[in-house]
Amino acid sequence: MRLWSVFRKAMREQLRDRSTLAMTLLAAPLFCLLYFLMMGGSSTSYTALLVNQDGNPAVAEALRTVQYEDGAPLLKLRTVADRPAAEKLLRDREGDALVIIPPGFSAALQGGPASRYVLSGDLTNPRYTVAAILAATAVDGLVQQAVGAPPPVQFVEEPLGGSGSRTEFESYVPGIIMIAVEMLMFKFAMMLAAEVEAGTLRRLRLTRMTAFDLLGGISLTQMIVGAGAVLLTFATAALLGFESQGPLWVAILITTLATFSIIGFGLLTACYSRTTTEAAVVGTFPMLTVMFFSGSAFPLPRVPLFSLFGRVVSVYDILPPTHAVTALNKVLTMGAGLGEIGYELAAILVLSAVYFAAGVWLFHRRHMRVQL
Amino acid sequence: MAVLETIGLTKRFGSLVAVNDLSLKVEDGEVFGFLGPNGAGKTTAIHMMCGLLKPDAGQTLIHGRPAASGDPDTRARVGVCPQNIVLWGNMTCLEQLEFIGEMYGVARTEARRRGLALLEAMSLTDKRDRLARTLSGGMQRRLNLAMALVHDPAILVLDEPEAGLDPQSRVLVREFIKSLTRKKTVILTTHNMDEAERLADRVAIIDQGHLLTVDTPEALKRQVGPQVQVRASTLEDVFIAMTGRGLRE
Repeated sequence: MRLWSVFRKAMREQLRDRSTLAMTLLAAPLFCLLYFLMMGGSSTSYTALLVNQDGNPAVAEALRTVQYEDGAPLLKLRTVADRPAAEKLLRDREGDALVIIPPGFSAALQGGPASRYVLSGDLTNPRYTVAAILAATAVDGLVQQAVGAPPPVQFVEEPLGGSGSRTEFESYVPGIIMIAVEMLMFKFAMMLAAEVEAGTLRRLRLTRMTAFDLLGGISLTQMIVGAGAVLLTFATAALLGFESQGPLWVAILITTLATFSIIGFGLLTACYSRTTTEAAVVGTFPMLTVMFFSGSAFPLPRVPLFSLFGRVVSVYDILPPTHAVTALNKVLTMGAGLGEIGYELAAILVLSAVYFAAGVWLFHRRHMRVQL
Repeated sequence: MAVLETIGLTKRFGSLVAVNDLSLKVEDGEVFGFLGPNGAGKTTAIHMMCGLLKPDAGQTLIHGRPAASGDPDTRARVGVCPQNIVLWGNMTCLEQLEFIGEMYGVARTEARRRGLALLEAMSLTDKRDRLARTLSGGMQRRLNLAMALVHDPAILVLDEPEAGLDPQSRVLVREFIKSLTRKKTVILTTHNMDEAERLADRVAIIDQGHLLTVDTPEALKRQVGPQVQVRASTLEDVFIAMTGRGLRE
């Protein structure tokens, strides 16, 4: 079977090109480590700056009680002597929100003249909103307690799935795992471009080999490399404290299917590349598009297009990795099983088949058929 | 019987007519020299003969069947040794011979047997497990030739097979081509008149896409003989007489 022969040949070449193989296998585990170091390996916390002109220690105490379930601080408090010093810290992004407690705040709590406290910050800083809400909730709680007027309606926060106990690093792991798969786009495109550049594809065109034999054989090798990269990334994440909430085999199934779609993108890249250098340059655009717009690098807001069978389809849903990231999040973070990701799996399968078929068709037209 | 026949083969690239109404027949078992200066249209003609390039007009028949039909059986009757070295650098000599054989539909054990025989014929037996990229240029050229033969084609197209070879390798390749005489039909493109004269049963000279002449080297030399006063004419004299002394781009 010629597809099998192509597979053996591509696997041999792959194993002998050790530097490229190492880069493909180790890029995502390295990303994993970098994300871990960036997040400090712990839960996200926000820095609240406090200028306490009143001197009431209860305010600082109330802000310090804003914590995760495990006691890790959600708000980190930094007391500052005056407003100008605090504003400098805000500008330098050394603080996310500033709370100014005015003189007479304690007196107001004890029935004295009404007082106003100030929340300030850089409104273009996405962390400001969260820090300000957390600080305001803490101060309001203190006020309600002090004046003996608890709110008539209270809320209880119930985290979805296992998300309540997740560190920020863990929340990024599904995306990082998809990056491991997305790295294959370059590799696959470069392997095909190398055949064009060396003239070996022209030699192969003289044989009985079909486009399906060639692309199928090389795709199989890339799926194995992809599986290796994913397992290494999982192992790295686990060593850094990541724990999957759902069955790991389902996550591996998702990434395997997603590999198929990435190979489709690699094929499309190879169609417009005659050299490995061209493949690396041309491949940057689809690689970055997929990486950023699928939510692999960081979560993106959904941009709805239309509804289909009661589901909102967004712009980025045309990218199979978008569904893979969503499905991985459901499994790894929310603890979902196979039955709960049926839609995402179906979307990955259908879209991957479309991209792969488009890639095979275009590659055949541009590189395999008799030249006009 | 003609194993390969071109009928009015024409190919244009924009305003350039690379091959113009080329009609010739290559007989079974002959070594057919295909000569022409740089840019004469030899490689374009060869690509059309192999079915790699679609002609704008005319056709090539291989054993009576159109080469451009896409029929893999027809394509597999031709073995091509390209002018450039076309090998997989990260595969050993034997691996690539086995692989290309399998791509032509030869069973793996048979491809291995033929690969080993070809490596011996090319004096590469001791290099069978060496990666192609680690071979010398001459060794790579010999392996390049072996790659065209592993599926045992009836027609062998050799595009400048002696280019880049040292004298020892040149003799080896020449002897090997001679050994194929009457067993296979060989189409040989070359700039080396001495090579063509020694090997070819018939020679076609092509220039600016036009076929100028086709005949045996002896007959061609007789035609040009009277123009060469002081010595016996050679195929190079014939070539210069036909294509002129002007340098080509």
